Amino acid sequence: MMMQNLKVLEERSIYVIREAKTNFKNVAALWSMGKDSTTMLSLTRKAFHGKVPFPVIHIDNGIDFPETYEFREKLAKKWNLNLMVIESEIKPEMSGYACCGENKSVALKKIMKKYGFDALIVSIRRDEHGIRAKERVFSPRNKEFRWDYKNQVAEVWDNYSSRDDSDGHIRVHPLLDFNEIDIWNYIKKEKVPINPLYFSRNGYRYRSLGCTHCTTAIKSNAKNVEQIMKELEVTKVEERSGRDQDKEKAYVMAKLRALGYM
Amino acid sequence: MIINRVTLLGQKDHGKSTLIGNLLIQTGSVSEQRIREAKKTSKSLGRNFEPGYILDSFEEERVNEMTIDTTRAQVKYKNSGFEFIDVPGHEELMKNMLSGASYADFALLLVSAKPDEGITDQTKRHLFVAKMMGINKLVVAVNKLDSVGYDKKRFDEIEVDIRSYLDKIGFGKNEVNFVPISAYDAENLVKQSKKIKWYKGKNLMETLVSMSNLEKDDKNKGLMISLQGLFEGDESTVFGKILSGKVKKGEKITILPSGKEARILEIFVSGGKKSSATRGNVVTLKLDRKVGREIKGSVASNNKSACRTGNVVHALVLTTKKMQGSSSIRINGVEVGCKRFLVKKAIDVATGESVVSKTIKPLSAGSVEIELERKVASDNFESTPEIGRFVLYTNKSFAGIGIITD
Repeated sequence: MMMQNLKVLEERSIYVIREAKTNFKNVAALWSMGKDSTTMLSLTRKAFHGKVPFPVIHIDNGIDFPETYEFREKLAKKWNLNLMVIESEIKPEMSGYACCGENKSVALKKIMKKYGFDALIVSIRRDEHGIRAKERVFSPRNKEFRWDYKNQVAEVWDNYSSRDDSDGHIRVHPLLDFNEIDIWNYIKKEKVPINPLYFSRNGYRYRSLGCTHCTTAIKSNAKNVEQIMKELEVTKVEERSGRDQDKEKAYVMAKLRALGYM
Repeated sequence: MIINRVTLLGQKDHGKSTLIGNLLIQTGSVSEQRIREAKKTSKSLGRNFEPGYILDSFEEERVNEMTIDTTRAQVKYKNSGFEFIDVPGHEELMKNMLSGASYADFALLLVSAKPDEGITDQTKRHLFVAKMMGINKLVVAVNKLDSVGYDKKRFDEIEVDIRSYLDKIGFGKNEVNFVPISAYDAENLVKQSKKIKWYKGKNLMETLVSMSNLEKDDKNKGLMISLQGLFEGDESTVFGKILSGKVKKGEKITILPSGKEARILEIFVSGGKKSSATRGNVVTLKLDRKVGREIKGSVASNNKSACRTGNVVHALVLTTKKMQGSSSIRINGVEVGCKRFLVKKAIDVATGESVVSKTIKPLSAGSVEIELERKVASDNFESTPEIGRFVLYTNKSFAGIGIITD
């Protein structure tokens, strides 16, 4: 995995976050308390002098890890976040496609409508998945939250199109250019507070965090950020291998994303 | 690591995705899982293994064997980093090709050596776009040489034709290298090919490494800051990105095109207080007075004539559809309506020749004079690319790109 120039990445992301703030009337960000969206919040604070000038949404299905909830409360207080928790209704038998696809989208639709958000900052990265690699920095979703991936808007140079004629909203992806190892490099440099589940306990750690139903730990002895970076330099395993497999099958990710999955 | 961003170019089916797929495999830059998945998909479609499926992730792309949208993949080779930008070759998907290619530092053109394939209008169109976008380093990989028995004559023939076209569009003086390959059989990609004995040059990856010097000089250019917005709506606190030069605390700046002047009280770089900042930095400037609300797309400089401030620009445009009805451009992050969009010449992209004309055909180029609804900060593309290039809209939908010529 290639480590890129952090300063270049950081400046590009700050530029994109500022573009989001200046192009839209009512921006919100999604925060899963994972490493990527927490990094995004840290970059936002750099862009706006220590403030996060928009609401931060957690779509809570009630089955996240206890450590994740604890981390949420601590950081929301420390960074003075305007945290909006929306509860999604989960049934015990739900998992994978049904849960991430419909369940979370329904909850998100409700809150987007209630507050009239016209843009949503989402911390996906190109190196996570072949489908995400095809995303734009500013990516429109229609009224039904659908991603028209067969006919994406043009995005030439840095002229991100903020126009939306479909009555929907724009997804903004400021971390698209980051690799997994760049995220850790940023966390190390900026001493970003991070969910303890990423670090090894009893020989296991979480490399990618979802909820308790769909996430499994990987074998690892990496107990701190430096050790995680060392591990990533040599790994041949996909980052999301610990996520429920049905999400990672050939076309399920495209279908999920077309339906509004983050 | 600084990553060289390389856009693929070339006609549909000449092997762009296959090439990147095999480069990822040959350099060990892709996980076993991704390769296994591509193998499984190939098998389920009843086809031989297609390395391009590592990039073409949409079901529609795999089933129809064509790239629909641009994607990127990184390769580490020896001590150099590359990001390959795959683009669709299909004419109808030009907007997606432009979206990918616009982020490239240099280009890798694929031309199929198959007798019925070879150089097409689309091959030339892609080269024209690369030239327009200021990409001045090019590798031409002559692909599918296995289909003509690795015939040197065919390779030479393609080289002569491409060079003559490059001369026509004024690309000739730039750095151009030709490499014979077979993308599917991975011949001459990372190892010298035993099947292409007559070729004594570097293999494809080595050729890319030899061209990968990305040192960009600032040519001692003066200060230009592209302004993005106001911090918390405060008209005396602006933020933006430094395009060139250096800014210092205490300096007097002029906002262009408004001409408003102010002195810098504080500079923040990525949130931290600094006494100066340079090219590439994203900054916030605290000023000693208000400079107005409408500053997005403006340029701040310590030189009152750092860039142009008029409302008429002359440009070279490439259109992806017919221009009709209202038109507008998006330049330096702002959209401005066109009062007048006057075509002066049409350029036949296939021959590079221009003729006096009042219209431009779709997928073709032309010289235009555009009168904008208001003044904008702009410059020639060659001097300051960031404020010398724009996206073109007709009836509110994407219609092409343009670069300011004077």
